Amino acid sequence: MILTQQLILGVLVGGLYGLAAAGLSLTFGVLRVLNVAHGELLMLGGYGTFWLFTLWQIDPFLSLLGVGPAMFALGLLLYWALFQFVVKAHEEARIKNSLLIGFGLTLVLHALAIQFWTADERAVTTAYAGAVIRVGGFAIPLLRLSSLMFAFVILAALQLFLAKTRWGRAIRATAEDWEAAALMGIPVGRTYLLAFALGTALAGIAGGLVSISYSISPSIGIEWTLKALIVIVLAGLGSLFGSFAGGILLGLAEAMSVVFLGGPYREVVGLILFLMVLLVRPQGLFGARG
Amino acid sequence: MKLILAGIALAAGFAALPLITARNDLLNLGVQIFLSVVLAQSWNLLGGYAGQINLGHAAFFGLGALVTRMLWVSGVPLIPSLASGALTAMAFGCLIGVPAFRLRGAYFAIGTLGLAEILRITIGNLLPEISTIPAVALASYSIVPRYYLTLALAILCVAVVAALVPSRVGLGIRAVREDEAAAEASGVGAVRHKLLAFAVSTALAGLAGGAFAYYHVSYYPQHTFSPGWTFDAVLMSFIGGIGTVHGPVLGALFYVILKEVLAIRWVEFHLIIFGVLFILVVLFLPGGLVEAWDRARRLFRT
Amino acid sequence: MLEVENLKVAYGDLLALHGVSLAVRPGEMVALVGPNGAGKSTLLKTISGLLVPRAGAIRWEDKTISAAPPQRIVERGIALVPEGRRLFATMTVRENLELGAFTRRARNEKNAQFDRIFTLFPRLFERQRQLAGLLSGGEQQMLALGRALMGSPRLLMLDEPSLGLAPKIVEAILSVLAGLSRDGMSMLIVEQNVHSVLALARRAYILESGKIVGAGEGRKLLDDDHVRAAYLGPLSRRAR
Repeated sequence: MILTQQLILGVLVGGLYGLAAAGLSLTFGVLRVLNVAHGELLMLGGYGTFWLFTLWQIDPFLSLLGVGPAMFALGLLLYWALFQFVVKAHEEARIKNSLLIGFGLTLVLHALAIQFWTADERAVTTAYAGAVIRVGGFAIPLLRLSSLMFAFVILAALQLFLAKTRWGRAIRATAEDWEAAALMGIPVGRTYLLAFALGTALAGIAGGLVSISYSISPSIGIEWTLKALIVIVLAGLGSLFGSFAGGILLGLAEAMSVVFLGGPYREVVGLILFLMVLLVRPQGLFGARG
Repeated sequence: MKLILAGIALAAGFAALPLITARNDLLNLGVQIFLSVVLAQSWNLLGGYAGQINLGHAAFFGLGALVTRMLWVSGVPLIPSLASGALTAMAFGCLIGVPAFRLRGAYFAIGTLGLAEILRITIGNLLPEISTIPAVALASYSIVPRYYLTLALAILCVAVVAALVPSRVGLGIRAVREDEAAAEASGVGAVRHKLLAFAVSTALAGLAGGAFAYYHVSYYPQHTFSPGWTFDAVLMSFIGGIGTVHGPVLGALFYVILKEVLAIRWVEFHLIIFGVLFILVVLFLPGGLVEAWDRARRLFRT
Repeated sequence: MLEVENLKVAYGDLLALHGVSLAVRPGEMVALVGPNGAGKSTLLKTISGLLVPRAGAIRWEDKTISAAPPQRIVERGIALVPEGRRLFATMTVRENLELGAFTRRARNEKNAQFDRIFTLFPRLFERQRQLAGLLSGGEQQMLALGRALMGSPRLLMLDEPSLGLAPKIVEAILSVLAGLSRDGMSMLIVEQNVHSVLALARRAYILESGKIVGAGEGRKLLDDDHVRAAYLGPLSRRAR
């Protein structure tokens, strides 16, 4: 059935939506900073993977081990250069300013990407690119399945970090109540730095997976920022696996709209869901939960 | 006041330009500047004065362009076509305004962005990706009437905002930006004022779109809904000086001229520069060029 | 020894503390009382480093800490149990306590501190793995107190520890505090429940509208007419 095949593809892409959203959820949840350039960071990660493969034939899944830390370092830099100034304001001003800063960053990164790499679409084409697993008459592209599993493993590792380590606890505490965290002796500035860098790394890894399983170009930035925003609004903040599940939900919703409304309206369904949920929660994502 | 005199001088200068030269490239540049002034100023009314960041501004620009073009191409005279475009944009604004303004701050911003994207994709799917040049325009395309039309619109737009801001309504709008809760408590009626600013902002954006349709004539329908228009408006308003009347004008001049200068070599490069400038403005010089100018003047006075 | 000298703290343009001076000597329990909005919480927050003073100085163990960031102040041995407890509701009791021992100095003594706190508050040991948000009011206050103690502070500051708690529990908390004081902990307590805290504290200050309007021995202030009229209300009149 076409529907089932589409749903399978929806789940496969949804995992990546979830990974992208998890990174944004981390920075938004901890720093109360809405970095709308998140999609461009994802795009950069994608290009990193692409060039490592194209220039030096490094297997893309392997190159993620390099792209991840590289994007982490970029995140450190971006926080130090830009976002540390944004967090000095109180929450409402913070979100507004970070939106603007992220907006400027989006333009700059997008234009730089076009400048250096042209607007052409790129994809990583490994030898095993076309492999497909057949289950009961349905085709599951191997690459996409591997990407989904990779995304899951990364999130599980991060979840472990947040749950079991000292700095993971510090991040969770700061996200909940930064003043109380400061009173514990937790260096809030450094916690923000760590959370932001982790979020950026997640974006980069998601981008790498996108370049492996789909394709990238400078314009995927805003597309993926919107996807991440939609998932966050749908799934809420505070849980990495919530984001993952939300991403899969979005993938499924898109798949259904492709089947029933046709391909061109695929994006619209997500956006409409997004608006509906936003309107139902006008107090935002941090509103008191009863 | 000095600013008004400067404005009149500038407008007069621009008005005289077609009489001095017949260079199409200069006149085209002029049209782009005037369109940008309206685009930026209309955004500034809501973003700078009411403090609501509307990231879906392109939707209203696009609606104005769509309706104006449709009517004008089927024979309706230009002015009614333009007016209809503006009214359509304003009607859509009033329609979504009430639910949209339930969202605060950043959520309003991403909400309007989402909405504009929905509109863009839908229009792009419904209307064919063909750009036809209608017979009306084929006959004789002259840049001069378009030049004067857009100049008139720019002057109108600046005048409307300049008149609105110091008025009682304008004060209410600005009160909302400062502290919405306080404004509401003191009986200002925050939602009403936001809606009013939104209505005027979207109507002006629709006018700009309509004028663009008249000017550019042939383009893909989706193009006028592209978020790039919103980004341009935001950049120009902030870099010029948000929340002032002359800021967006300065910003538009600066933006369009610099873009022309840079386009000779690199097409997208101007965005890198403006993006960086924008970030610097938001972080360190919130008043934009206007603030920089004021500071420089004070420095030389002491 | 904590010395606050002529402290001025402002929120924007509004001055909340107009030159406050007080001191807490080693091992002393000092109470800070006063009406709502007097600036008591502001004072504690400033000492903790959450707020930066406009003017004046704060000295702790002879070092100036007026502009130090919160984590430095915790490292130096001052802990605040904030108003409303501010527990991390989505984290377990044990995790909350762990966070109390974030600094390096505290980490070295972590296990010893866990033992001490679980001995002091056996209920917390029972409910180690429960989410902090699910605890009762009294248990939450015990957790907040325990969390602050995990850092082995030498000065413990408490902002309204009895707020919203049943009298029995307040008694229990106060007796724990009394015990800590006997063991040599310096304490600065802000309390609405003036009666019980003035009976315990060695000395007390009265803060009104950002100024210190009275100071003296705890028990003496209990008998002071001004204090009785302003804070002790019907209870005191009945006692007469």
